[in-house]
Amino acid sequence: MTLKTNLKTALFLLTILAIISIGFKIPPVFQNYDNFNSARVYQVNYRFFFKSTDTTNISLKTYVPKSNSRQRISKEQIINDNDLSFLKRVEQKENTRAIWSIKDKNAYHSIDYSFTFEGKEKWFVVPKTFSKPTHVSKEYLSPTANIQSDNTLVDNLAKELVKGAKNDKEVIQNIYDYIYAIPSAPIITLTDAVTTILQKKASCNGKSRLFVALCRNLGYPARIKGGIILETITKRTSHAWVELLINDTWVPFDGLNNHFAYLPANYLEIYQGDQSLITHTAGIQFDYIYEMNKLHHVSFLKMSSQELHNLPGFSLWNLVDKDIISLSSLYLLLLLPIGGLLVALLRNIIGLKTFGVFLPVLIAFSLSHTGFVSGMVIFVSLIVLIGLISYPFDKMGLLYTPKLVISLTIMVCVILIATHLGIQNNIQWLTKLTFFPIIILTISAERFSRATVEDGYLRAIDKLFQTLIATTISYLILSWSWLPSILILFPELILLVIVFAAFLGRYIGIRWVELFRFKPLLLSERNI
Amino acid sequence: MFSILFTKKPNTYSKVIGLNERNINLIYPNNPKKHYALADDKVLTKEVLHQNNIACAKTYAVIEYNSDIKKAWDLCKQHPAMAIKPANGCGGGGIKILKKNAHGNWESSGKTISEREIFQHMASIIMGFFSLGSHDRVLVEECIEPHPFFHEIYPVGVPDFRVITLHHRPLMGMLRMPTNKSDGKANLHQNGVGIGVDMKEGRLLEVYDGRRYMNHHPDSDFLVYGAPIPYWKEILEISVATAKAFPLNYLGIDIVIDANKGPQIMEINVRPGLGIQLVNKMGLKEVIAQAI
Repeated sequence: MTLKTNLKTALFLLTILAIISIGFKIPPVFQNYDNFNSARVYQVNYRFFFKSTDTTNISLKTYVPKSNSRQRISKEQIINDNDLSFLKRVEQKENTRAIWSIKDKNAYHSIDYSFTFEGKEKWFVVPKTFSKPTHVSKEYLSPTANIQSDNTLVDNLAKELVKGAKNDKEVIQNIYDYIYAIPSAPIITLTDAVTTILQKKASCNGKSRLFVALCRNLGYPARIKGGIILETITKRTSHAWVELLINDTWVPFDGLNNHFAYLPANYLEIYQGDQSLITHTAGIQFDYIYEMNKLHHVSFLKMSSQELHNLPGFSLWNLVDKDIISLSSLYLLLLLPIGGLLVALLRNIIGLKTFGVFLPVLIAFSLSHTGFVSGMVIFVSLIVLIGLISYPFDKMGLLYTPKLVISLTIMVCVILIATHLGIQNNIQWLTKLTFFPIIILTISAERFSRATVEDGYLRAIDKLFQTLIATTISYLILSWSWLPSILILFPELILLVIVFAAFLGRYIGIRWVELFRFKPLLLSERNI
Repeated sequence: MFSILFTKKPNTYSKVIGLNERNINLIYPNNPKKHYALADDKVLTKEVLHQNNIACAKTYAVIEYNSDIKKAWDLCKQHPAMAIKPANGCGGGGIKILKKNAHGNWESSGKTISEREIFQHMASIIMGFFSLGSHDRVLVEECIEPHPFFHEIYPVGVPDFRVITLHHRPLMGMLRMPTNKSDGKANLHQNGVGIGVDMKEGRLLEVYDGRRYMNHHPDSDFLVYGAPIPYWKEILEISVATAKAFPLNYLGIDIVIDANKGPQIMEINVRPGLGIQLVNKMGLKEVIAQAI
C-alpha cells in the first residue's frame, strides 16, 4: 500500500513539476506566435569582389529580394569597404535593385549583402479554362530579342503543342511536358528561345525563354522569374523559372526541376523579367559568390536561435542548434512516447486489435517518407504478398524461427527487386520501399499469414484493417508539423506521458469496440 | 448505431465487464503471474489435479524428449483410443485424437494414420511447432467419450462446460457445442455455439451463435431451452474442488462429462473470455455483487 501511495506522490510531483516548467515558457511562446509558419529559414549572403579600372564612375548593380506571401526577408545588412563611395536602391517596376558606384580608380573593393530568408512552399491550382485576363500589360504578351514569340519556329511548335488539347490547362500541360523533356545542360552562353528549339538542350534560362515564348505566342501572359535555389552550400549559380498569369494570379512553373504550379520552400524569389541578377560596368575585374546557410527555427515562432536558447526553463533547443544528433532521429526519439501513448489509447479505450503493439506507429513513421497513399498501398501489398508466399512454408510444418528467416529473406528479395525495377524504369514509388523497417514488416506479414491459418481469412483481414486504421490515426497525429517543435520547446510533455499512461493503466471502462460486442446486453440493461 | 457510444456514461451503471476491467479487477489481483504456468501447462495442471484426486482424463504418457517417443508409444498403443496434446499449445492447435479401427489401424479425423506419422506429430510438438518456438512436452491421455445427453443435442465433437469461479465460488457457466460450421470445435470463435446455464436449477438456457439467441441448436431439432443438465451437482462440486486446488482465484474451468465416469476437468484458464456474459445475457458484475 505504501508503495502505491509513494508512486502516486511521485506522479503527482512529476505533474506539478512539468506543469510549472511548461508554465514558464508559455507566455514568451505565445507572445512570439508567428502565423507566417515558414518551412525553411536560410541566412543568405551575396559577396562581391571587384577592382576598379582607370575609368571613373564604375557601378555594380544587383537585384535584391522582397517579402511576399510565401517568403519573408529580414535582417538586411550591407557591409561595404569604408572607401566605397555610396550605395543606393532604385525601384524598377516591381523589382528592387541595389547599386554601388565608385569614383576611385584602381582600388579593390568587397561588398557583403546579407539577409535572412524565411520561406514556405506554395501549391497553385490550375483551372481547366482560364478567364480572359483583365488589364494585362502588353509586355507579358509581346516578343523580345531573346523571347521570339513571333518566330516561325516557335509558331509551328506552339501549333503542334496545341493539337489534341481540350482546354487551357491541357495546353499548358503540353508546353510544360515539352519543356521538361528537353535535356538540361549547363550552358553558360546566352540561349534564346529559338536556339533552345534548335540545339535541343538548354539550361534553366533557355528553357524558361522558350516556355515564355510559347505561352505568349498562344496569348497566355507569361514572364521570367529569377532567383536562387537555397541549399547549404556556397555557389555562383542563380536560377530562372516561369510565371503564367492565370486568372489574375502569377503561377510558377519550373520546367528544369519539374515543379508544375508549385514553388518549393527553398526558392528565393528575387526579380521578374528576362534580366541578369548582377550587372557591372564592363572591363572591371569582378568575382562573386552566394553563401547560404540553413538555420534551425521553430516554424510558428518569431524567435531567433539565441532567443530560443534564452527561454526560461528547460528545452531541447541546445540539441537542435548544436547538431549533436540529426534532427530526424531527434524527432523520432521525441515522437516515440507520443506514438506509444496513442497506441495505448487506441487499444485500451477504443479497443483496436493490431498486428504487433507498436507496429502502427513505426509504419506511420515510414509513411512520412513514402507519402501516405502510396505507402499504405505498398504496406498492404507487401504484407499480403509475403503472407501468401510463406503460406506453403506454414503448411510444410517448419519450425517458427527458421520460417521467420525465410519470410525475412523473401521480404528483402522483394524489396531489392522492386527497388531495382523502380530505378531502372524510373518508377518513383517502387524505390521508396527501403524506408520500411523490414523486420517489422516481416513480423507483421508472418502474423498475418498465421492469422489466416488460425482464425481464417476474414478475421485476419479484419485485424489487418484495424491495423491500418490505427496506422492512419497515428500518421495523422504524428505528421502534424508543429508536433516535433512543440516537443523540443516543451520536453516536459514526455514526462506527462508517463503520468497519463499511469492513469490509462488503471482505466477499467468498457472499450468502444466492446460496446458493439456487448450491444445486446447493454441494450437489455437499459430497458430494465 | 452510435447511440450506445454517446449515451452519457454507459459504463457507470453497466453490469457488463470489459477487457480493461477484467484485467485490472479480476485477473491481476487474483491470479499471481508466477502461478500462470499451472494453468497454461496442461501437464502441470494435471499433476495438481491428480494430487487432489480431482477427476480428469487419465494420463497415459508425458513425453519430453524425442528419444522417449518410441518407449512411450509402446506403453500407449495398447489403449483403443487416446488424445495427443501439446502441453503448452494454444487455441487447440496440435491436438490429435487417435482411435483404433476394426482392422487394428490407427485413425485420426476419419483418416488412417501410420505410426511414423504419429511419431512425426509428437516430434513437432516437442520442437515447439504449436507453442511459438519454445520446447514443449507431449501429453498423451485417455480419450473422453461424451455423455449421450450431448448426442441428443448434436452428435459430433466433444462439447464442454465452462465455469467461471471467483474465490472458489462458481459465478457463471455455459455449455459450448460444435456446429456443422465449426469443424468439430466447440470454441465460440470458431463458429461453435454457447448455451447459457441456469446455475441454481442446473438447466440449459438459450443457444447463442454470436448473433442470435435461439431455443434450439442451429443444426438439430432438440429443444435445448430448459433441458436439465446431467451431473450438475457434481459439476459444481468439481469446479469448487478445482478452484481450491490452485493458487489462482479467478478461473475459467473447462469440464466435460464422460459417458462412464461423469464430469472430468479438461483444462483451466487464467484469462477466461468475456463472451460468456453474452451467452447468459447477464453481466459478470451483477453475478459478483450477488455472490458477495
